[in-house]
Amino acid sequence: MTFLPLRTRALSNESAVCVSDGGRFFAASTAFIGRLADERLSDADWDFLAREGHAVAEGDALAAAAHAFAVSQRLTRAGPLDYLILVPTLRCNLSCSYCQVSRVGVHQAGFDWSEATLAAVLRRLDSLPGNRIKIEFQGGEPTLRPDLLRAVIDRCERFREKQFVICTNLNDLRPELLELFERPDLFISTSLDGDAATHGRNRTGGEDATTGFLSNLDAVIARYGPGKVSALPTVDPTSPPDIDSLIDSYACRGLNSIFLRPINFQGFARKRHKASRDLAVGWRDYHERFVRRLIERNWNDRTRFLEESYFSICLRRVFQPGRDRHVDLRNPNPMGLDYIVVDHDGTVYPTDEARMLSRSGVIDLSIGDIETGWDTEKRELMNRHATNQFDPACSRCAYQPYCGRDLVDDIARYGRIDLPRHQTEFCRRHLHMFDLVFQLVYDDDPAVRYSLCRWLRLPGTPTALGAMHR
Amino acid sequence: MIPLHLPVVAEAERPFVTRLRSGPAEERDAATSYLLDEHATSSTFAGRHGLIAVDGVAAADLHGDIVLVQPGAGRLERLLRARSRHNTLLVTERCDQLCVMCSQPPKKTHVDRFALFQEACLLAEPGSLIGISGGEPTLYKDQLLDLIGNVLARRSDLQFHVLTNGQHFGPEDVERLRDPLYRRMSWGIPLYAPEAELHDETVGKAGAFERLEESMALLMLAGARVELRTVVLTTNLTVLPALARYVATRLGFVEIWSIMQLENIGFARNRWTRLFVDHRTGFEFVAAALDHAALHAVPAQLFNFPRCCVPAAYRHLAVASISDWKRKYVDACDSCRERERCCGFFEWHPDSDANAGARPL
Repeated sequence: MTFLPLRTRALSNESAVCVSDGGRFFAASTAFIGRLADERLSDADWDFLAREGHAVAEGDALAAAAHAFAVSQRLTRAGPLDYLILVPTLRCNLSCSYCQVSRVGVHQAGFDWSEATLAAVLRRLDSLPGNRIKIEFQGGEPTLRPDLLRAVIDRCERFREKQFVICTNLNDLRPELLELFERPDLFISTSLDGDAATHGRNRTGGEDATTGFLSNLDAVIARYGPGKVSALPTVDPTSPPDIDSLIDSYACRGLNSIFLRPINFQGFARKRHKASRDLAVGWRDYHERFVRRLIERNWNDRTRFLEESYFSICLRRVFQPGRDRHVDLRNPNPMGLDYIVVDHDGTVYPTDEARMLSRSGVIDLSIGDIETGWDTEKRELMNRHATNQFDPACSRCAYQPYCGRDLVDDIARYGRIDLPRHQTEFCRRHLHMFDLVFQLVYDDDPAVRYSLCRWLRLPGTPTALGAMHR
Repeated sequence: MIPLHLPVVAEAERPFVTRLRSGPAEERDAATSYLLDEHATSSTFAGRHGLIAVDGVAAADLHGDIVLVQPGAGRLERLLRARSRHNTLLVTERCDQLCVMCSQPPKKTHVDRFALFQEACLLAEPGSLIGISGGEPTLYKDQLLDLIGNVLARRSDLQFHVLTNGQHFGPEDVERLRDPLYRRMSWGIPLYAPEAELHDETVGKAGAFERLEESMALLMLAGARVELRTVVLTTNLTVLPALARYVATRLGFVEIWSIMQLENIGFARNRWTRLFVDHRTGFEFVAAALDHAALHAVPAQLFNFPRCCVPAAYRHLAVASISDWKRKYVDACDSCRERERCCGFFEWHPDSDANAGARPL
């Protein structure tokens, strides 16, 4: 019998979670951990390990292949480019306190795509090999240029599978926009920071503008249904809003997914929200209380389920590798391969955060431009470091198979990528996430299990989600 | 039922494959026989192999069908019906397993018709998915892989699905199956239990489970696409949750897991009362298996489960699995809104059971 390596992390005083390189896991008593450490495993231990895919019996080729397969499932393989984040203009009609980019005033000239840039984008779209495309329009406020949105969308007709997302502040619903919104393959992503007062304070500035935004949001939901819209709250971790009122502002609109997002340490936030560099324990407490409150509310009203999107993504990564295409948490994290960001001047970046950081003048993370290409040495350099696989701290961490790597976040916060991982905010945030995942997976409370099963998209509610070995 | 075999009188001496065409044609091709004359349900076609007179079906219904004509036996087989998405070629009737519920009990003799089948496949409607079944097709593994490889190499629009017991794959197949051509085919392989004793007993062959595991490891290494199939029986119902754990742990590479309700034909007919599970009362085991599969992202589906008999939370997994030519609906289905998405019943399913269970959704 060959024992496959396990990494452990304490779950409580009496138990620990044991995880293989392929992300298979079980909870074990400290007695078992002791037997494992002392090499005193019993026959029952060996049976359990073999059954669960943690040990390979002599000649069991299927177990060996299954383990290799499980490990491979944990690694991202970048397919052909099929996801573009496009910034047709940097202009914006709002000025949010933590704006992610150095946005410019709504009337400033020279911050929109030129004819040449548009032509180059369209040529690139024509040359993509696949028959699937996802396009996300970012800004600035992309709806200031509906003509550019239309030109891109029209050019994508040839793709069999297509999805468009317009990230907009919904401040101004012009008729030519509404015409675009009619498309069933087009979705709207917006920000909703909570109740009107909170949203006004963070974003719109005035009461009138807030009322305008909310009535536009409600109009869009009334016309197309809540499935058309995803909204995200940006939360100031030093003064987070009341949990129930934040949830209510989503739930009352039929929006069931809430992506709780602390202020990104980017753009103007670097100046105005210095505390967001290292999120305090306070933020993680808030997040956990938020998730636990959702669990209570889901249990009390089972006609619907609410979720915190990022927690759901992390939860699903534990059980269902590859299920979500969430490009911010993957390993390796391919840079500039299957998705790119095209800025207002045609510059190509590997991620939106890389664009913001470059805009802020901190470091130039551009990898090329839409006309001449981005298969560059800089892209190659980033890709050489875009994995957690060989990191000395990560390779000791039980959560490594589930976790990812975010170079740009490290550079944004610390100006370097070689800080010991456990000293980074990325690591602390994800340790918290996966600790919470396993706390809840091994929680016997039926209310907890009920919510987890909904977040995992299971048809029913099984009696246990993970194995336990004593 | 849609008849698949028709009486025929043909001029030719030897069996041949041809496409039938009942409408007018601007260009004539050698692979097609064209309608000459028609009386009610008797039609005469003419082509490279001479005259063919078919009885029993209107010419319009045969339009586009790829048929095998056996003049000696006076029989026409509609190999690839143009209007069906459920065409299956039976390449042999021999088998080395004897499953308790076998719907197509094996025979000892084998007639090699691979060359004719290859001819038929090359004439298939654009974009077809062609099923291959038996008997056990991999008893003639080399001819089978040649047939599939030859057709896929010449027809980039076609796909194959082969039902096999997975007893005959060897290390020598891995390299061959890694050819990207074979990404356009999948293997449907039955597994009835998570351990040797019950599986071997179900398939009537000692050592079958172990041999299957060996094959599965090879198929995984070859990057083959596998559809796992499990028929629900009284004998394996309670082990379905354990089977789901086995699948998630050891067979996570399968493309899909089909959990199937029993078909009242073949060996199952005489063993019906002993083997059939009324899933209206025993669904909790199926549900637990489906939940575990979903938990670990193993796609699962229910075959031959009428949607009205499946709890609402699992209903989306019950697909219209029964081929058109052997599918029936009962009275209660007339007003059902989900009829189009439902498998209905096998033509030979006992009416007493179907009528008792069906209710419109």
